[in-house]
Parts: sequence; C-alpha cells; structure tokens
Amino acid sequence: MGKRETIVLSSSEDDGDCNDNDFASKSILKYFKQPKSGAASVPRTNTKGPIPKKARISSSRSHPGKSSNPFDEMKEFCEDFGEGFTGFKVSAGHKRDNKELWVDKYKPRSLLDLSVHKKKVEEIKIWLEERIKTKNNNHYNHVLVITGLPGVGKSATVEAIASHLGVTVYEWNTPTPTIWQEHIHTTNAGLRYMSKLDEFENFVEKIRKYGLISSSLTKEPQKKPFLILIDDLPVTNGKISYGRLQRCLHLLVQYVCVPTIILITDYGRSDTADYTSRCWEELQTSLQNAGAFKVAFNPITANSITKMLSRICREEKLKTKAEQIDAIAKASGGDIRNAITSLQYFNLKSNSKGIFVNSNCLDDGYSLSCGRDETLSLFHALGKFLHNKRETEKATTSDSLKEEFTRLPMKMDVPEKVLGQAHGQARPIADFLHENVLDFVEEEGIDDAWVVASYLSDADSLLASLNGIRSRSYEAENLIQSTAASVAVRGVMFGNRHPLSSRWHAIRRPVMWQVEQSQWRNKKEMIGERCVGGYNGVSLSDLSVIATEWKPVSKWLGGSMVDNNDCDLDHFEEICDDDDEIEDW
Amino acid sequence: MLWVDKYRPKSLDKVLVHEDVAQNLKKLVTEQDCPHLLFYGPSGSGKKTLIMALLRQMFGASAEKVKVENKTWKVDAGSRTIDLELTTLSSSHHVELNPSDAGFQDRYIVQEIIKEMAKNRPIDVKGKKGFKVLVLNEVDKLSREAQHSLRRTMEKYSASCRLILCCDSSSKVTEAVRSRCLNVRISAPKEDQIVKVLEFIGKKEGLQLPPGFAARIAEKSGRSLRRAILSFETCRVQQYPFTNNQVIPPMDWEEYVSEIAADIMKEQSPKRLFQVRGKLYELLVNCIPPEVILKRLLHELLKKLDSELKHEVCHWAAYYEHSMRLGQKAIFHIEAFVAKFMSIYKGFLIATFG
Repeated sequence: MGKRETIVLSSSEDDGDCNDNDFASKSILKYFKQPKSGAASVPRTNTKGPIPKKARISSSRSHPGKSSNPFDEMKEFCEDFGEGFTGFKVSAGHKRDNKELWVDKYKPRSLLDLSVHKKKVEEIKIWLEERIKTKNNNHYNHVLVITGLPGVGKSATVEAIASHLGVTVYEWNTPTPTIWQEHIHTTNAGLRYMSKLDEFENFVEKIRKYGLISSSLTKEPQKKPFLILIDDLPVTNGKISYGRLQRCLHLLVQYVCVPTIILITDYGRSDTADYTSRCWEELQTSLQNAGAFKVAFNPITANSITKMLSRICREEKLKTKAEQIDAIAKASGGDIRNAITSLQYFNLKSNSKGIFVNSNCLDDGYSLSCGRDETLSLFHALGKFLHNKRETEKATTSDSLKEEFTRLPMKMDVPEKVLGQAHGQARPIADFLHENVLDFVEEEGIDDAWVVASYLSDADSLLASLNGIRSRSYEAENLIQSTAASVAVRGVMFGNRHPLSSRWHAIRRPVMWQVEQSQWRNKKEMIGERCVGGYNGVSLSDLSVIATEWKPVSKWLGGSMVDNNDCDLDHFEEICDDDDEIEDW
Repeated sequence: MLWVDKYRPKSLDKVLVHEDVAQNLKKLVTEQDCPHLLFYGPSGSGKKTLIMALLRQMFGASAEKVKVENKTWKVDAGSRTIDLELTTLSSSHHVELNPSDAGFQDRYIVQEIIKEMAKNRPIDVKGKKGFKVLVLNEVDKLSREAQHSLRRTMEKYSASCRLILCCDSSSKVTEAVRSRCLNVRISAPKEDQIVKVLEFIGKKEGLQLPPGFAARIAEKSGRSLRRAILSFETCRVQQYPFTNNQVIPPMDWEEYVSEIAADIMKEQSPKRLFQVRGKLYELLVNCIPPEVILKRLLHELLKKLDSELKHEVCHWAAYYEHSMRLGQKAIFHIEAFVAKFMSIYKGFLIATFG
C-alpha cells in the first residue's frame, strides 16, 4: 500500500507531461469527481481487483493514442485517485522506512538508549524487579507514580525497562471522547452514556479487586510477569469529579496487588495559577500519602539531548553542525521528544532550501524556527536574582565607571530577559525580592542593604504612579511596569555587592500580603467602631486618631467607655458581618 | 462618657482655648453668609470641637441630633458600577463624612456622592439658612484626583451647600481648594493652656491635683489637648489620689516604637533589619499610620543620637517620608530609612571608636 501512494503522486505529473490536451479536461473532472471518490466507496471496489498500478500507468503512457475515449481515461484516473487516497490514508498509520517520524524510529529500545538519568532508571528497575520477584506479597505497595514534564521520557522508560525485564505492559486504553452529536445519537438509540471518568473508575475497581481480568490476557497469563500502565488519567474538571478521581486512585494505591505504574505529566510551574495543574500536584501528594512510590523525572539535560541528537545525525548521515545541535538541544528545554522532532524538521528544511543552513547566523547563534520558548518558574527567576551569581574575573572592558559602581559580569541572561521568561509582573516581583533579599546580604553589609532598600523604594514609587493613569494608556502602564521591575531587580543585584555564598534558601511568600490583609480588616473594624459613638460623641474622628489614641487609651480605661454604645449596637454588628469577605490572594 | 467628650465645649462662647478664633467664627456666621471653611492644624488642637460648636451656632441645638448611617452607594463609573460603603453622620442640617475611607476610590465619593448631597437643597423650615453644610474630614488624605473634583463641586453647588473641610496639614491640600476656602488655622494649644483645661476638669470632677502634675501631663502630651485629657483620665483610673511622681502611661505603640529604636541602636546588620521589619509590620497591622511611625521613630532615634548625625538623619527621614507618599507600600520606604540610618550610624561608630 505504501508503495502505491508514492506512485500516485508522480503519476498525475506524468500524465500531464505526456498528454497535454487531455490534461485540462482531466483536471476539471478531477475537481468534479474528487469529492465522490473521497466518499470512499471507490477504494473498496478497487482493492478487490489488485491490478498493479505501475503497470496501468505505463500502459496509459505507452498507448496514449489508443485510449481514444476520454471518458475511459477519466474513469481510470478517478480510480487512480481513489486508490491513491486510500493508500495514503492507510500509510498514515503504517511505517515507511525513510519518512517515518524520528521520534518513533529512535525510540529507546534498551536501557542504554535511554537519555533519562541513570539513577532514576535504576530506581524504577529495582522497584519493578522487587514487585515481580515477590509476587503477591502484600508488604509492598504496588503503585509507582512517575511525574515529569512532557517529553522527558516517562513512557519510554517504562517500556524500555519492561522489555528489558521481559514484562508485559498492559495499558489502560483511554476511551475515545464522546462528542455532543454522538451523545445525542446514542442516547436516542437507547444507550446509556457513561462518562470517561466512570469507565476509568470501573477499570480501576476491577484491577484493584481482581488484578487482570482473564479475558484481557493471553493464553498463559500467570507465567509471564506483567504490569499495568496508566498513562492517561481522565481529564477532570471541577472539584467534584476531581475528588472522585482522587478517591478512586487513592483506593487503587492502597489495595491493588499487581504492579501498577501511573504516569502524571507536570505542566510548567509558570501556569500554576490554573486550577487543574494545582489539582495534579495535590493528586501526587495524596497518592504518595497513600503509600505510592514516587519518582520525579527532571527535564533531560542539554548534554544528553545533544548526545542523542548527534547519534541520530550519525545514523541518518546528516551533516548538521554541532552548534546547530546545541541550539536545538538548548531550545527544547529538556523535552527530548520536541528536540528530535525539531531536528527532523530542521533537516527537512535544510535539504530543500540550502539557504537555511549556512546563513542566518543571528547574534545568538542559529535562528531556530522551531523549538519551544524557554520558560522559567517565578521562583527560579527569583533565585537567580537573589543568588546573584557573578563571574570571578572582570571582563576587559573600558572602565569608565568608578570603582564603587563596577560589578563583575553576571552569570545569567539579562535580567529583563529572565523576567520575561518567568512572566514576572513587577508588583509581585518587588514584593518577593523585598521579602527575601535580606537573607542574601552578608552580615556586615548594612550599606548594601540600604542600597537595595532604596532601589526597592524607588521601584515602589514607580509602581504607585500607575494608579493615576490606570485604564488610560496600556502602553504607558506597560512601560512603567517593566521599568519598575527592572529597577527592583537590577537594584537588588547591584546593591548586594557581596552576596552570601549559595546556601540553600527557601524563598518565602511575602509576609506583607498577610499584613496588608489584616491591616485592611482592622481598618474596616475601626471604621465600624467609629460609628458606635463610643469614641467621639457627636463627630467622626480620623482613623489615625482612633488607632494611635483612642484604642490604646481604651485598653487602660476598660469598661468606662461602653456606656453610650447601646443605641447603635445592632448597627455595629451589621457592619462587622461585612468584614468577612476578605479577598483571598 | 469619656472626659474628652464630657468636657467638650458645646458652644463657641464656652471654649477655653482659641477664644479669639471662636469669637471670629461667631461673628462670621451671625453677621453674614458663611463661606467654605478649611480648618487645619495639628491633631488634638480642637478643630472638631470648633466645627461642632460652629454648627450649633448656625443651626441651633438641632445640629447635635445626629444619626449614624452606613450606606452603600452605587456609583456609576463609566462602564461598571462600583459599590461604595460610606459611613456618614448627619443631622437635618449637616452631613459629616470621611471621604478618604474609600481609599483610591475616593474620587467617586467626591464626584458622585457629595454632588448628590450637595444638590439636594434642604427643606428650609425657618427660612433662616438656605444651605446645607457638608463636613469633610481628612481632606489631606484625599488623592489628587479627588481634590480636583472637589474643587469643581465647591463652585458648582456653592449656592445650596457649604463645605467645611478639616485636615491636619494644609500643605497636602491643593492650592485650588485652599484658595476657595476661608482658611482657619488652629494651632496646637500651649502647655499652660492645657494645664488650665486640665485644672478646669479636675475642679469639675472634684479631684485633688498635686502641684505640677497637670504640667507634667501637658508636657507629655506633645501639645495635644485630646491626648492630655485622655492621659489625665487614664491616670485617674490607674491611681487616685494622684502622687507627684506618678507614671503617666504612654501609648503602647509608642513604647513599641522606642523598643524598635533601641534595637536599631544596638546592632546594625541585615539580620537586625529583618527583625525590625517584623516589628514594623506589627505596628502597621494595628493601623498605626506609617507617617506617624516614621515620625515617632525619628523622634526616638534623635534622642539618643550624636548631634553631628542629626542633620543627615533628618534629611533621610524627610526623603523617605516623601517617597512614602509617592509610593504605595509604606514598609518599603520605612525600611529603607532604617537601613540608611543603620548604615550612617555604623559608619559613625567605626569612625569614632575604630
């Protein structure tokens, strides 16, 4: 089938070449007929009569004059087309030698092929071996959770290890999602709709109680060791269904007696504001609490990706330059699947257009039209700023700056770029820096601390200037935001002349947020109390006066202030009730 | 009832301090139409008392029959409606409110709510006064935008309504607003005036005051009459009969600030700065205004400082007070001041003691 398809592509050209005046009519007919043949009734009849197509084409070529009836030829063409169509369709799933996706082609077959860190592989291997050897031993917990970013080789590792140990992998097949029209159709037909989550729950319950059901097994089920792989957890939306999923997995972890591996894909930390990704994190911890063994895969190092890519290049006999490979490896951000696809795409391009390879040297090496944008988590970026790592030697530049203003070159990208990668907004960045920076200033460096503090104060003033112009000009707002962020970040990096050597620091959430909340609450309370009249008979007094004078004094005086409150008490309570709705950050 | 309220003079004739101002005000309202007024002066100097007395002078005793209202206003702000909660104190002749409570939304209060109130002419029962009075507190805390819209309101509705503005410092009120008002400066009462008031209260309460005791309270009060009367009453609760060496209890937050100052003087390091930050947060949570904290802190620090450093420290305090006003989060600026002080002081210590 695969062969046929390639021929069809060339055949139309051949026809055009040899038979010019027919071509016009043919192409018109093609337009007419195409949808019909596309309706796929033709291919079936065609495949019944397996005439080798090449022969037919050559026949049409050798007797161009003979087929005097244009209709015949047209029909023939249609058949060709239809055949080609099916051929193409099938070959999509079929593997052809030279046009296969490299991701599939270079799938790791053995443990040595894996680019994943050796330790992690070993960990999983040992875990699996233990489970296989001591069968039906209930001391162990039988669930392994593997987490990691997409494309770090979670599934590949499991498959490689399984084939290494001779373990059969039974995978949970995700049911095809039901679309709405289909749903209506089936319900009309009287079938009950079953949600995918329900199906998953059923499946989990089955393997939890009975292990593998015999029907799903081959003839000799008990001889060969096996494991169950759950790669594709059902998507949950909302708290209720998420809770169900969590419960069912929790039970699975606790009671299942066959080795089970659950793969959970982490999504970038940068979008943790998203509810679902938070769910996944929670899910992981709950599984761990239930006793599952967790292995977290890190993004694959650029080195291993480079190695892998160079190997592919060797095997494919490509002349990709080392820098190009490096660039691809770097751009992939630890996602090896992406890296391999990029490489394939890259070479595809360079084959067809020679320009791409040798020119286009931009300032940062090769401009890749593929690969992913690198992102950083906010905390990663903050860590970079706070640790403030610098080269040990001064770069030889013409020093026009005074001694006290020069700093060693930074060991990182330009702060603004890092900020961009972390999607950092000025306000939270400034708050986080303010909260944490003092941990990184050395004990003697109070002068540094002042410089840092003064820059943060400037950044705050800049940010405050946003208030007035809000909703008037986004551009100005953007500019101020990014300027303020730069001032804060660069101020911190400039000011901290002797950052503490990199010890482990946990980055704290700004206490300020909490302070602001309770301040706000207290303030509301005071506004409420003010109306009671307890403080100031017939007039409203300033909040500051209440805070600084009335309140402290009322502590001393105690009960004597309460006499004339009663008239407004219910009113006061009503105000208090409103206080509870404090905006959660 | 607290003594502060109990002995608050009810009419312009009975005031014990600022008699001259009171008399002028009385003349003003009895003889002619009253202009917009702006009362300014330090806290505890008697602005509110004068305003209340003035209202009574204008409208009679009915001005004292007030009710507290807490109302949610729906303000139409372009594309959306904003709910603003506002507490007002009103009689049939006047409304008193604190527009700055609304924070950054204060301009809506000024633009919409005050306009609403100003528009409605009061039903003039006796045909005496054809206007209503709006008392706005803490005008200096209003944002610039709000002050601008206040200006327009003042002009547009001056026929039906008079504004009495009240603030601590007129420098934070825009020129435009100031020039539309009759400015009345209420200075802080002198110490002997405070002593006079305290002795008056003591006599009314039938207390024995040891000689010099009232003077000590007055000295401690920082020329704030309210403060003086409050501590006087506190002393009375704590210990009576008074003794001459009786401790006058300070405000708890002031003690806390002096603790912070002591911390700062003891050690100058980032770690200490961090501890200080924690304590500052404590104060902020209790709604002590950051300006007050900074001022008090400076006061405490200056007490213990060598005179040659005082000038520089004051300079930086002023610098960061200013940037605090421009900025949003006070802690950034207070902390910067503390850090600067530490850095100066440490340099000084090293220079003098090696």
